Amino acid sequence: MITEIFTYIDPEPPVPANGGSLEGITVAVQPTMGVRGWPTEAGSVALERYVALEDATVVDRLRREGATIIGSTRISELGFGLVGDTSARAVSEGAVDVALAMDTMGEARIAAASAHLFGYKPSYGIVSRFGLIGLIPSMECFGMIARTPREISSVLSVMAGKDDHDFSMSDEFPDFESFDAVTVENVKLGVVREAMEFLDQDAYRAFRSSLSYLEKAGMSIREVSLDEYDLFRTIHNVIGSVEASSSAGKYDGVRYGHRAQAVKNWNEMYLKSRGEAFGLPVKAYLFQGAYFQFENYEAFDSACRIRSMLVRLMESLHETVDYLILPMKSGNVPASDMKTIDEIYGLCSHALPANVTGVPVIYMPGGLFGRETDPGFQLLAPRLGDARLLAFAAHLFDQAEGGV
Amino acid sequence: MDYEAVIGLEIHIQLNSDTKMFCNCPNRPGDEPNKNTCPVCLWFPGAIPQFSGEVLEKAALAALALNCEIQDHTAFDQKVYYYPDLPKGYQLSQFHKPLAKNGWIEINDDEGRPKRIGIRQVHMEEDVARLVHETEGKTPISLVDFNRAGTPLIEIVSEPDIRNSHEAMEYIKVLRSQIRYVGSAECSMEQGTMRVDANISIRPRGSDHFNTKVEVKNMNSIHNVGAAITYEISRQAERLNAGESIVLHTRLWDPDRNVTVAMRGKFEGPCVPDPSVPPIIVSHEWLSDIRSRLPEMPSGKSERFIRQYGLTRDEAVLMSSERDLSEYFEAVAGDAVTPRTAYQWIMTQLNPLLKDYRQTISETVVTPKRLASLLAMLESDVLNAKSAREVLSKLFESDQTPEAIVEQYGFRQVSDSDELEGLVEQVLSDNPQAIDDFKAGNEKALGFLIGQGMRASQGKANPKLMKDMITRKLQE
Repeated sequence: MITEIFTYIDPEPPVPANGGSLEGITVAVQPTMGVRGWPTEAGSVALERYVALEDATVVDRLRREGATIIGSTRISELGFGLVGDTSARAVSEGAVDVALAMDTMGEARIAAASAHLFGYKPSYGIVSRFGLIGLIPSMECFGMIARTPREISSVLSVMAGKDDHDFSMSDEFPDFESFDAVTVENVKLGVVREAMEFLDQDAYRAFRSSLSYLEKAGMSIREVSLDEYDLFRTIHNVIGSVEASSSAGKYDGVRYGHRAQAVKNWNEMYLKSRGEAFGLPVKAYLFQGAYFQFENYEAFDSACRIRSMLVRLMESLHETVDYLILPMKSGNVPASDMKTIDEIYGLCSHALPANVTGVPVIYMPGGLFGRETDPGFQLLAPRLGDARLLAFAAHLFDQAEGGV
Repeated sequence: MDYEAVIGLEIHIQLNSDTKMFCNCPNRPGDEPNKNTCPVCLWFPGAIPQFSGEVLEKAALAALALNCEIQDHTAFDQKVYYYPDLPKGYQLSQFHKPLAKNGWIEINDDEGRPKRIGIRQVHMEEDVARLVHETEGKTPISLVDFNRAGTPLIEIVSEPDIRNSHEAMEYIKVLRSQIRYVGSAECSMEQGTMRVDANISIRPRGSDHFNTKVEVKNMNSIHNVGAAITYEISRQAERLNAGESIVLHTRLWDPDRNVTVAMRGKFEGPCVPDPSVPPIIVSHEWLSDIRSRLPEMPSGKSERFIRQYGLTRDEAVLMSSERDLSEYFEAVAGDAVTPRTAYQWIMTQLNPLLKDYRQTISETVVTPKRLASLLAMLESDVLNAKSAREVLSKLFESDQTPEAIVEQYGFRQVSDSDELEGLVEQVLSDNPQAIDDFKAGNEKALGFLIGQGMRASQGKANPKLMKDMITRKLQE
């Protein structure tokens, strides 16, 4: 069945396992996440009629703990950009408790922001990417959208963990058991000065208004500096486009997906199949990547080195504060209108640091603290600090709900 | 002008691991097309490559066999190009951080002097799918067999230390022997498990300049590598003498016409670090474990064979050239069998029979133990050589012990002079003419009489005893 929100709804979901920690929880996936037997076209003609052969590890783990996977939401082509994305709607309209949304450049958080929901991106390497059809392996992961941080935490604690199918995983994992009782006293927060410089006056005022609640609750917020903040976007773009160009190489129409008809030879078959399959933003992005691969490898090489430096800078910032605060939104154009690479990166710019450096991040919706129209903000923790970050977010949420 | 050639070889070797490099599919390219495939080696969306520990071990052993230094930190790159035999637009290979560097092997140059050939690096890469172009019929089609896609290769890049086709062929033989020794690969050029490309340039003798090289491919035997290099050197010399210049390109060896033919301009795609396969960090413990599995290598072993078994240098080199053969030899040569007997019987008797029965030295039904028992009977005069040969061929047909075969067929040598007494009498009385000839000084007559005696004993008589007895009778 196909609806405005779902490209596919499971007509007969398997009977949920009894006694699991996710009993009764409903989850939506995206058509970039493998569920055996489901159409999995990743929003692209390149994958037309493709049906997943295997369950993603995540899907298997969620089902074992009693969750029901309802269906697949709509997604922009190969998850690049947010045009036509319905993951947040699936939650805000009550179709599911938690929506999984691939987060490569902030998609889960930005979609959550559009619907006053919590959006989450875990530490890189704690959730198996097996069965995730992505474009940028070193940045992408299973993101989550939900009404409360606790729902995110309970789903993430099931999804996280070693998987023999994914060798790129971390050797260590967050301990979700040991962060039940968190207090906000003496918590040190740092807001990145250079990020605020990107905000116009209205946005800055709204952002500060959200933060003032935290200060009232007794937390100290200090300004920290990251001179290289404007590099995140460039680094993400250079490395991301190169990885995307390689990752999309497999969509050649030889083994699955779209194949052009009436061609003279294999070379023409490649060119026409790929030409017909990809939409404009993806094509432009792949061209960028091919440019760096073939014509300007030095730029890519520098980007990789700068990325390592950014990872270290983030680590050193986290040595001075418990959590970093970044704004979420930039500009007022809706995500669905972002069609060029520049527009997409413009929209995502504050979301990128977490993807580039692999740290966990939660989007705290506006309206939770202060005015309904406030934009909310992102809280970032050090890598593998997921459990503590989510416990802290849950604590803030409880306080806000309780009207403290 | 007098030219000297500068040659470097790039050798691809298919490792004999059980599985492919990044998935658990069997490493058997020859099976029914597309049988050994899975979402990983077909690069279906959502699949993640899982690098095989067994492949790493086999590759590291091969690199150690070539005296290379295994690198602590090694990683895969994507070699980007688009071709239907490559199901994802790039080949996983190692460019920036190869597995091993700075190796060498020793060969004998064309004057028999030892010479070291440097090995720049050994790296791992996946093989590609096999293409079958069906050009007959109404619509020509191309078929892709993915059985080979993702099977493990190592590429061994030599330094440009090779100067002629003799050295190139020696280099390939020594390298092949050493890699077979550690059990990482079969290394058969004929069967395609070893592929050799040669980079060849020439320069005036005495120069240390490196000129533009030409790559030559498609040699499917060591002999062809030698022939192609010899041809290419003289082709380049002719061009230079004619005032032309050499341009960088690839040529194919045509074994029917014995010439190299220009193929295409050399295309080098970019090599981008792969983000999906984690870097390989080699620990000290792991490396010591792999080192401890290195067997005694052929050069050391042949020296030992000379010392320990008294073989000549040529015999020792031959016996140690293949690990299976050397181990077979050592298992046969022991207390009851002299090394020389073992060597001679393996080379002159066992080897031809192995060919006839299409068995290999490592898998033959004539185990070292069976051959040793047989040769022990020969050496203790229970059998004579002729009977031993017959027992050996029976060993291929039966699973009985050599002792049982000797008893069953009555091969036991007759060394009892009482038993032979009557036989000798009979032969002498049947051949008075030969006795007269002998007494007239014709030595050949003695040989004739011994032959008659052996025949009468149906080959079982101890030939030495037979000779002694007849000689004694004739002198009575």
